[in-house]
Amino acid sequence: MTIIRPLLGSGSSSLLLVSRAANAGSSAVFARRMISSTTARSMATPEPSKGSETYQTPDYLRPPPTPRSPPLSIHLESDIDPYHGGPSAIEKAANLFFFTEIVRGMWIVMEQFFRPPYTIMYPFEKGPLSPRFRGEHALRRYPSGEERCIACKLCEAICPAQAITIESEARLDGSRRTTRYDIDMTKCIYCGFCQEACPVDAIVETQNQEFSTETREELLYNKEKLLANGDRAEAEIAANLHADHVYR
Amino acid sequence: MKSAPCNKRPGMQLALTHTLTLHSTSNMVSLARTVRNMRRVGLKEWWRQLQYIGDAKSGKLMGADQFGNRYFENLNPEEEIPGRHRWVDFAQHDYNATQVPAEWHAWLSHIRKDPPPEDRVMQNLSPPWKAPWSENLTGTRGAYKSYNTTTPKFTAWQPKVISRGGSSA
Repeated sequence: MTIIRPLLGSGSSSLLLVSRAANAGSSAVFARRMISSTTARSMATPEPSKGSETYQTPDYLRPPPTPRSPPLSIHLESDIDPYHGGPSAIEKAANLFFFTEIVRGMWIVMEQFFRPPYTIMYPFEKGPLSPRFRGEHALRRYPSGEERCIACKLCEAICPAQAITIESEARLDGSRRTTRYDIDMTKCIYCGFCQEACPVDAIVETQNQEFSTETREELLYNKEKLLANGDRAEAEIAANLHADHVYR
Repeated sequence: MKSAPCNKRPGMQLALTHTLTLHSTSNMVSLARTVRNMRRVGLKEWWRQLQYIGDAKSGKLMGADQFGNRYFENLNPEEEIPGRHRWVDFAQHDYNATQVPAEWHAWLSHIRKDPPPEDRVMQNLSPPWKAPWSENLTGTRGAYKSYNTTTPKFTAWQPKVISRGGSSA
């Protein structure tokens, strides 16, 4: 069908072609190029206007032109050329029959073939992460080794997914600590509200995102698991908080 | 183009030419890159890289962690695509992304600029009670299994039997 289309269109445009050849005889047929066959650079940088020393209002500040109807005395056949400025039918047919678009596409493919791959080989190389990245949860300790969480239950209250369950008791020395700190990681939506609500920076979301499990029950974290996460990654957590502390 | 009417144009052209030159310099042939990296790292290392990372890479050895994983970096943008400039060579054959300990994970994920042996912040902030790193043990016998950390609220009734009267009766 695509081959037939210009043939069908040529019947109606043959008159226009004749008229264009009459009034624009000097212009070469292949001087203009189609948008599809124009380099992107010449489209991105418009030609600078010559000899414009005075300040011109930029395009986006100018008022839109008022729409005008064409004058009534116009002669439609001779004055209006709907294909003015566009590619001619010969150009279109040449692009169609010489497969220029396909050749251009194949050329791009061949260029990419000789370039080094951009693929990040995942377990060996990794994409960049932010120090604010929200991954697996962890409970932190003070530098003395005392656990930070004081069972204020602010994280439990703010958790939109209600993934956190906390129970607390007074310890033997009288301080209030949690006896249960469970996070259902299958419910968690990793919004980070818990670490924002925490007044003592106890619950944090570490940069670890590789905690996938084979069974569902391995994702029901309890306090021991969260403390173990914090104990093994404390250096990274503290360094991330240190890198981000000026913005908090 | 002197005293340009629109101030954005020279800057845009400059940026465009800059990207064009950068593009042309980084347009290196993969085969030449492979041969160059192979000559740098040697045949044995190249064969190892081909078995694991699947690409010939050469860079500066930034250090190794306690498991023997080696970490490399090549900051030359004409030799390594930016974004692929840090990589790890796993010690184990059965490699796994979680075998990278947390400190090196921060470096490998481009969170920290300096590797852990040179990162003073990371060194000063690592506590003495830091636990050893363990990889993700799911699917093995060491996998985490959830359990209750509280004492049970109620227990089964244990009948207390008072012994019957003495044998004298």
